[in-house]
Amino acid sequence: MAATDARTGRWARLSARQQAVLATLLIVILAALVLPPFLFLIQGSLTIAGPVNDAAQFGLGNFEAVIRNRHFVTTSINSLIFAAASALVALVIGWVTAWIVERTNAPLKGLAYLTAIISLGTPYILYVTAWLLFFGKAGPVNHLYRTLTGSTDVLINIYSMPGMVLVEGFLWSPLAFLLVGATLRNANPELEEAARVHGAGVWDTIRRVTMRLSLPSILALSMLVFIRAIEAFEVPALVGLPGRISVLTTDIYSNMVARAPPDIGGASALSVLMLGLVLVLLYVYGRLSRHAERFATITGKGFRPRPFDLGRLRPVAGSLLVLNFVLLLLVPMLMLVWVSLLPFFQPVTAAAFKLISFNNYRTVLASGQLELVINTLLVAVATATVAVLLTFLGAWLAVRRGPGGWIIERLATIPLVFPGLILGIAVMQVFLRIPIPLYGTLGILIWAFVINYLPYGMRYCSSGMLQIHRELEEAAAICGASALTRLRRIVAPLLAPALVAGWLFIFLMSARALSLAILLAGPRSQTMAVAMFDLWGNGQGTELAALGLMWSMLMAMIAVVFYAVARRSAAGALGRA
Amino acid sequence: MLRVEGLTKIFDNSTDQIAGGIRDASFTLEPGTFFTLLGPSGCGKTTTLRCIAGLETPDEGVIAVEGRTLFDAKTRVNVPVEQRSVGMVFQSYAIWPHMTVAENVAFPFTVSKQRRYSKAEIADGVRRALAIVDLDGFQERPATRLSGGQQQRVALARAVVHEPRLLLLDEPLSNLDAQLRDEMRSELKRLQSKIGITTVYVTHDQSEALALSDRIAVIDRGHITQIGSPQDIYFRPANPFVARFVGATNLLTGRLIGSANGKANVEVLAGRQIQCVVPQGIDDPTSVAVSIRPESIRLVARASGAAVGDGENCLAGRVSAVTFLGASRRVDVVSDGVNLHVTTAADMPLPADGEVLLIFAPERTVALPGKVA
Repeated sequence: MAATDARTGRWARLSARQQAVLATLLIVILAALVLPPFLFLIQGSLTIAGPVNDAAQFGLGNFEAVIRNRHFVTTSINSLIFAAASALVALVIGWVTAWIVERTNAPLKGLAYLTAIISLGTPYILYVTAWLLFFGKAGPVNHLYRTLTGSTDVLINIYSMPGMVLVEGFLWSPLAFLLVGATLRNANPELEEAARVHGAGVWDTIRRVTMRLSLPSILALSMLVFIRAIEAFEVPALVGLPGRISVLTTDIYSNMVARAPPDIGGASALSVLMLGLVLVLLYVYGRLSRHAERFATITGKGFRPRPFDLGRLRPVAGSLLVLNFVLLLLVPMLMLVWVSLLPFFQPVTAAAFKLISFNNYRTVLASGQLELVINTLLVAVATATVAVLLTFLGAWLAVRRGPGGWIIERLATIPLVFPGLILGIAVMQVFLRIPIPLYGTLGILIWAFVINYLPYGMRYCSSGMLQIHRELEEAAAICGASALTRLRRIVAPLLAPALVAGWLFIFLMSARALSLAILLAGPRSQTMAVAMFDLWGNGQGTELAALGLMWSMLMAMIAVVFYAVARRSAAGALGRA
Repeated sequence: MLRVEGLTKIFDNSTDQIAGGIRDASFTLEPGTFFTLLGPSGCGKTTTLRCIAGLETPDEGVIAVEGRTLFDAKTRVNVPVEQRSVGMVFQSYAIWPHMTVAENVAFPFTVSKQRRYSKAEIADGVRRALAIVDLDGFQERPATRLSGGQQQRVALARAVVHEPRLLLLDEPLSNLDAQLRDEMRSELKRLQSKIGITTVYVTHDQSEALALSDRIAVIDRGHITQIGSPQDIYFRPANPFVARFVGATNLLTGRLIGSANGKANVEVLAGRQIQCVVPQGIDDPTSVAVSIRPESIRLVARASGAAVGDGENCLAGRVSAVTFLGASRRVDVVSDGVNLHVTTAADMPLPADGEVLLIFAPERTVALPGKVA
């Protein structure tokens, strides 16, 4: 008996420590990932470069220069207007589409889902260039206008603030559709039925019950899109810069790229200011979100809201869905197909048809783009795997209120504050000063991407974790299982759907990220999105189209798999903003 | 077998007025006892059970099983939950959905750190445990295809498969419908006596507690207020709370005015005197509650002139409501402005004018210290 006690005693001490050891390890790793970018960014913003490297001083000079710059106020206002207006556009399109699809008996609902799912895998840059081609000076819209009216002017100047707002709004509508749709789908029908039973008509019910109830979550969602639009890079860079409209992100980018040597101090100072703004906005978003959760109703009994019968309005709703599909998916795709088959861009005329060939595709396939594909896939796979692994353990510790769980949750969520571009600058600075040779390799990309997507992994794993009843783990502990055994045999199998959904989501996001990669990608470590950006910058629109279409098809297949998995796993983060 | 001394665990609930938890709980169990912790929601009974299991760490106290100390606040002993070798059935059953019945039941064997079990040993142990709960043959059934009652039996099999010294059950019958609950109640009792395992059972259902237990501890807001056999608890409650919680009762405010022949004279209502037994002793004569169970009261029409037996208590009243309950009838009678409930046979006739006499024996009239809340 004594011998068994000694053996079990030693094991008992180890087992009780397993959770604590895991927690400490995780905190160290997360802190090493998440904190240095902050520190080095702030240090960089306070470092005033002198004439000689050694003469660098510390001070607020960079901030002064930024604020005193006469364009600073204009740029900031531009950012705010751009973000607010595009959020509005995205929300309106998203809400209307979602309501039609989830709450009425309109036809052709599949089109809306198709649009949304395909967009998950397509890099933004592809959409933006397609719309630029469509609405541009030489594009079909203006060409038609000129042909019809004989004028030499343009109907739509896409390189303007309204143009930026439109394109950015289009970019975000699919996501708004998915998120609003999930809220509407999960609403408790009894709340509306109670209104109908007591005499309220259809329109009254919508106005006074449905919309009021979904208002908090819509406000929260608007805030989310607003924050993302403030951090946006693709549209301001591709649409704004040619139109001489600058926002905060393009200013930061210009500081780094358009000057030699790059003004790291100025870029860092501007970044720090942006960080402060986003922090404030995220705080507001957090409050709105919590408020929205109080209104959240989950049916649980399996009753779905009864769809409204639109009667004679069915065709109208259907045509709205078709319009949505055409504008957001069909037009860009057709535009890209058209451009990819031509040697150089030209309007749709009979003459142009004679020039159609597959040359662009041949060029793209021959020029060894394989390395590009491999790089992008490697980065995406590595990011998704590492991020999901870390957040799996982190979510387990946080949700089970294990030791250090609170710190882990904070650390894993902090990266939300970083706009992609700024995180790129910060990580670059980290590895310029720390003697680990990751700069210029895929490693630095993976490092930055993991930091960036930790919050998303955390969201998926936490939601999944919350659905696993505490008693399932307690029963295992009572039966004698140690913490690691419980993780392996109980938690991991039950969390699998959420883990897979999270992995696929992060994989898709990493594969198409541009602003994060653009400052970190070296000549030997390019990703698909960066390569496309370069192609556009070099005026190689036709090759861009060919490459982009092939890549999007590949990604679309993966996006379909993701959607199927996420839909089945109730832990889909698509259900929460 | 199980010794609990001075167990205290307090939760700081900033939203509640009173902090939840258990305070200064002490009891000792002989081997093979079926012991129930009974009380309303939030009284601390589940907290006590979880402290014994090791799922909560108490603030103070001692817990020992068969002489082995599992927890001692003073000497800082706290055996982790994986090491305590108890069996537990959770309120939600906690059957793992991604495993079969056999894998669920075999789990304690497969994670055991004490020794390695061979496949044959595991299969044999699983078969025996399933046979005890009448589920032999269900080994390969996926856990998701079990009914509520079957899940509960699998949970029970899993709890006893590695022959623990102590079995803990946390409201295992509350998720079952009424008929299944009755069935499982008898099953549990049969199993427990057959295996002879010391059992601690948590419930808020007093009929369950009375039917199953050898001993009951009644818990009120974190304090064990009485420990005794079911008969003790029912016929000789310690205070008005126990009297009201275990079985229905009528509680009358009373004043002790004297005693004779081992019985007390208590004045109730508007100056009526009745004779009571006093099982717990009364300190304050002005603070007395008299408990009379509804089934102890005989109703007679006042006009019938029936005789009141020698030494029987008698009160007069008027019928205010009658509720048909199937096997019996509940008659509400107002006496001196106070509402009393009486249980009668379902077909017993009642006088047309509603004027009745309530007749009950002093042995069934219990005077308790304390106020009628």
